[in-house]
Amino acid sequence: MRALGLSLIAAGVIAGAAELAAGPSLPPHDAAAARPPSHPLRVMSLNQCADQIVLALLPPERITSVTWLNRDPLTSRMVAEAERVGVNHGQAEEVLAQRPDLVVTGVYTTGALKVMLRRLGIPVYEAQTPESFPAIRAVTRALAEVLDAKDAAEPLIAAMDARLAAAARNPTHLRVAAWDGGGYAPGVGTLYHEILVAAGAVNVAAEDGVSQFAEFDAEAVIETAPDVLVQGVDRADAPGLRRQAERHPLARSYYADRTVTVPQWAYVCGTPYSAEAVTVLAEAFAEMKGKGLDTPPFAWR
Amino acid sequence: MSGRLLNIGLFVVLVAMALASLLAGRVWLPPADVIAALSAPDDTLAGLIVSELRLPRLILAVAVGASLGLSGAVLQGLLRNPLAEAGLLGVSTGAALGAVIAIYYGLTAHFALATPLLGLVGGFIAAALAFALSRSGGTLALILAGAAVSSVAGAGLALALNLAPNPYAAFEITTWLLGSLSDRTWDHVWLGLPFMAVGCGMLFLIGPSLDALALGEAQAESLGVNLKRVRLTALAGTAMAVGAATAVTGAVGFIGLVAPHLVRPFVGYRPGRVLVPSALLGAVLLLAADVTSRLISYNTEIKLGVITSIIGAPFFLFLVLSMRRRAP
Repeated sequence: MRALGLSLIAAGVIAGAAELAAGPSLPPHDAAAARPPSHPLRVMSLNQCADQIVLALLPPERITSVTWLNRDPLTSRMVAEAERVGVNHGQAEEVLAQRPDLVVTGVYTTGALKVMLRRLGIPVYEAQTPESFPAIRAVTRALAEVLDAKDAAEPLIAAMDARLAAAARNPTHLRVAAWDGGGYAPGVGTLYHEILVAAGAVNVAAEDGVSQFAEFDAEAVIETAPDVLVQGVDRADAPGLRRQAERHPLARSYYADRTVTVPQWAYVCGTPYSAEAVTVLAEAFAEMKGKGLDTPPFAWR
Repeated sequence: MSGRLLNIGLFVVLVAMALASLLAGRVWLPPADVIAALSAPDDTLAGLIVSELRLPRLILAVAVGASLGLSGAVLQGLLRNPLAEAGLLGVSTGAALGAVIAIYYGLTAHFALATPLLGLVGGFIAAALAFALSRSGGTLALILAGAAVSSVAGAGLALALNLAPNPYAAFEITTWLLGSLSDRTWDHVWLGLPFMAVGCGMLFLIGPSLDALALGEAQAESLGVNLKRVRLTALAGTAMAVGAATAVTGAVGFIGLVAPHLVRPFVGYRPGRVLVPSALLGAVLLLAADVTSRLISYNTEIKLGVITSIIGAPFFLFLVLSMRRRAP
């Protein structure tokens, strides 16, 4: 739900900004969509998730800018890389000022901005949002094709596949729930679920019928009685209701030593680096199993 | 029906609702398990669900519902206006603003009491502003001042949402504002309950004065009612009870507005006698809304405030229309 909320809000910001920026003096109408250059040199990315793949595939000198969201270590794996290139806030004015030869958008960049980019004759590529590892493979390859950076894509995908294969070798089959107390848990159809499964665990929320991010309250945790809880790591200085819930008495008394953390950027955006979280989780699950924590803390399971 | 009979009836319904709220939910518990869990809490499924989740939720639902119903009844009597409730005077919005600031700008991380305390402070500031702005005027001035304070606090909420440190915080503010009792714990009970109890106590104290006030302000003063003190007690009690309620659950509308209207015909339209049944009915309504939110929830929780508004608003319209038909 968090990732969804973020994307929706970011999309709103971007769409709203575009509407504001759509001033009266546009260049002559050009109905035909511009063809992307075969070897783009000034790439501008307007989507937080596409940003990270672009940053992974291209050298900084070929990137004009990525969104400001990628300078936030909470949701971005590519902070250092993002700081080496320009920044944008998804505004049409910035597109005009930065004169990219290719704009990468996401599925949430809708409406006014896309229409305007088309009218301005700026080539646009819309990157899909991957919610599984096969989709990450496909999206990365497709983006690499458009960016003319195929050589950079294959090592990334190979590293990802190596991590996935290593994690698949000794699955712990630990029963887990990704629950940080917000009242929601990820289920079937989310990248977060795919990460848990790839790390050798069973997602009890998905077993319970949760699809996408859906309601999963404390009562659901008690009833499904997972062995281990997985929590997205927040920055220590970011307060919110979730922190209150992290101190939910149940989590405190039953899961204090049964909680595993995972960086939020791994599941907020599907990139080849999401597999790093699989490695981290698989190791943590194995450690839990080694400690004999592969049975629920409650008696009824 | 006499007032006493009504009170007993409402109390019986409240107890029945309370029992139902312990049984119903995601996991349906057999009554025997609930009784066992209540008499000797243990680490069984039923024991944990009842003692750690449903009991604090039940206590909060009753306290918050009673606070809302009671404050609505007091304010409708005090202002002699059928539309009065804590929200009209800006108390709920002020409390919501205070709580949102506490939660999202890090104060809760430093000490846990910050949310209800800032909620209270917000409620008090709103009530004090409304009171100060309308000191020279009469009842209508207080209502207008309250509406203005409410708008200002609403603007403050919008600003807090706008300045939220990250999109997640903005998302959480929005969902928190919809009001919910989900996953509330004993901590919330210990934080909110004392304030709600003291606030409700203050509101009950001014019941007799409200009957005198029904005759008019000048007549009430000639009967020995200290109008200024009654008004101050009512506002302070509302700020305390509704401020704490809002700080714990988020904004829950319509209970304070509807509960007094529903019981008024049964007590001979005497404002002083509306208070007890109104508090009881407020508790019943909020408990019913909470049980409903548990039962109809599918994939995404339907928030408490959403249920009370969706059911409350059409009902209120029906009430207004039927009152107009019955009016002489």
